[in-house]
Amino acid sequence: MSEIKKEKEVPVDPPPFLGSWKNIYWLLMGNLIVLILLFYLFTIHFS
Amino acid sequence: MSSIDWIVLFGTLIFIVAYGVWKTRGTNSMDSYLRGDTSKWWTIGLSIMATQASAITFLSTPGQAYTDGMRFIQFYFGLPLAMILISVFFLPIYYKLKVYTAYEYLESRFDVKTRMLAALIFLIQRGLAAGITIYAPAIILSSLLDWRLGYTTLIIGVLVIIYTVSGGTKAVTQTQKQQMAVMMGGMIAAGVLVIVSLPDNVGFFDAMHVAGKMGKLNVVNFDFDLSDRYNFWSGMTGAVFLFMSYFGTDQSQVQRYLSGKSLSESRLGLMMNGLLKVPMQFIILFIGAMVFVFYQFNAPPVFFNDTVAQQVRVSEQGEAFTALEDEYNSIFEEKRRAVDNLVTTVESGDEKSIDLAANTLNSLQESSEEVRTQAKAVIQQALPDAETNDKDYIFMNFVMNNLPVGIVGLLFAVIFSAAMSSTSSELNALGSTSVIDFYKRKINQKASDKHYLQSSKLFTLAWGILAIIFASYLSLFENLIQAVNLIGSLFYPIVLGIFVVAFFFKYIKANAVFIAAILSQAVIILLHYLNVNGQAGFFTMGFLWYNAFGCVLVVLIGFIIQTGINQKRNS
Repeated sequence: MSEIKKEKEVPVDPPPFLGSWKNIYWLLMGNLIVLILLFYLFTIHFS
Repeated sequence: MSSIDWIVLFGTLIFIVAYGVWKTRGTNSMDSYLRGDTSKWWTIGLSIMATQASAITFLSTPGQAYTDGMRFIQFYFGLPLAMILISVFFLPIYYKLKVYTAYEYLESRFDVKTRMLAALIFLIQRGLAAGITIYAPAIILSSLLDWRLGYTTLIIGVLVIIYTVSGGTKAVTQTQKQQMAVMMGGMIAAGVLVIVSLPDNVGFFDAMHVAGKMGKLNVVNFDFDLSDRYNFWSGMTGAVFLFMSYFGTDQSQVQRYLSGKSLSESRLGLMMNGLLKVPMQFIILFIGAMVFVFYQFNAPPVFFNDTVAQQVRVSEQGEAFTALEDEYNSIFEEKRRAVDNLVTTVESGDEKSIDLAANTLNSLQESSEEVRTQAKAVIQQALPDAETNDKDYIFMNFVMNNLPVGIVGLLFAVIFSAAMSSTSSELNALGSTSVIDFYKRKINQKASDKHYLQSSKLFTLAWGILAIIFASYLSLFENLIQAVNLIGSLFYPIVLGIFVVAFFFKYIKANAVFIAAILSQAVIILLHYLNVNGQAGFFTMGFLWYNAFGCVLVVLIGFIIQTGINQKRNS
């Protein structure tokens, strides 16, 4: 895991919105879950 | 096509090429030619999306929805997760080492031979894919426009070569903004027009009910089945590995996000792709499903490649083919009544009547598909060399015969733009890898910046010419988008396996990972051979699973070999 430890030493600017990169990643995963849920309802409703 | 369509088509293409050349005039250093270094996050996001969205995306995907429904969308479910993993683990290291290519990192982690192995695998698989990226739209466009295949191949290839050789990474990124605008504008126009073209008594929701009852809105399937190519599970596992390899280790994508002004801009570009890619694919597939509904109310041809159908009509099998066309049309008339009945019953809301109407319609659809299969058999008899899979012709056949003047030219511009956007990224990356990982590293280490800039341009030009030659000698695969994914699935897992070992398994050293990569590549090719011939037994699997299997294999074999090396050394 040494490369990842080294990576943590690289200074990373926070994103311009949502405060942290972790929040941006949560947004992405949340968006995916909502989309899959909507697609599932879409499949059920029209099948 | 009308003269207005030709003006729209060539006006769009010439503008994009001229803009790319003009905007990047005076590119005079290796850094600006190979890295760009100035892009904002949204430019990077568009560039990543434009690179992945080849002509195949716009030709094959609507046809995929028409024939198989929308379940192909599940293939993209793993993409957002892959974007996050690349953003967390891959990107900071690439930035820290200030690399031109992804493979440079492997030399600092392992050794030069492992770097070269990964770079060589990239050159082979991306070189093959570049040929397909040009050939796929060229053969379809040549049939639709009634041009010789050589002309369409040359137009795509030469236009791309002009601005990619001239302006490098910056030209690729700049032109991809225009190309994405053309692609999205054209597809949205097509989507609106197909819905507007439905009969007056058929509303948007009626159309969706028809598509759904006929099995075309099958977006999500949670059933676990290893041999099923597209379901939720293959999307969230096998496809994650494929996207990690493609976006994390394929230079044609790595070069896009390394063109960012900073690490944050590159990360946001990846996030933009993760956020928009699934909805974008949904829209393209949905248009395909709506084209299917359109053809429930308007008679479709029995075979969507008009040029081939016309050749069969005047052949010895012409009579048999025409008889099948008549039978197909008479089934369509029955289907038309059945679909009208379905729309009426859906509006009534009576579930039993809806099921009955849907069953009648689906049974007629089966009869209609049987006639199509018979027609394809007749085509095969009449023209043994002709491609009988017409999936990739469905969307553009609809466009040419049903959309208004101007929009037809715009949709052709969409296909050419998509072909150019992905080909330019590929040539740019092939040129960079050839110079950085081979020429500069092994052949000529101490030349001037100007010399390497000229070499990069020459290598890009050479790869462009090679791709055109390769495209001229290809024969059509079962389905173009799957052909590209198959080539990726055969080679990507090994490269990803090497990178996964590099990032997460410090225990495994250079020689072990090198041997593991070669053995794993041999196993994947053997596995594919056994799968194709139905001899894989327990290991029977859809090719998307090769990505996970191959990557894990590199790690496991690497671990075993390293343990053996350590034990030998200790004893």
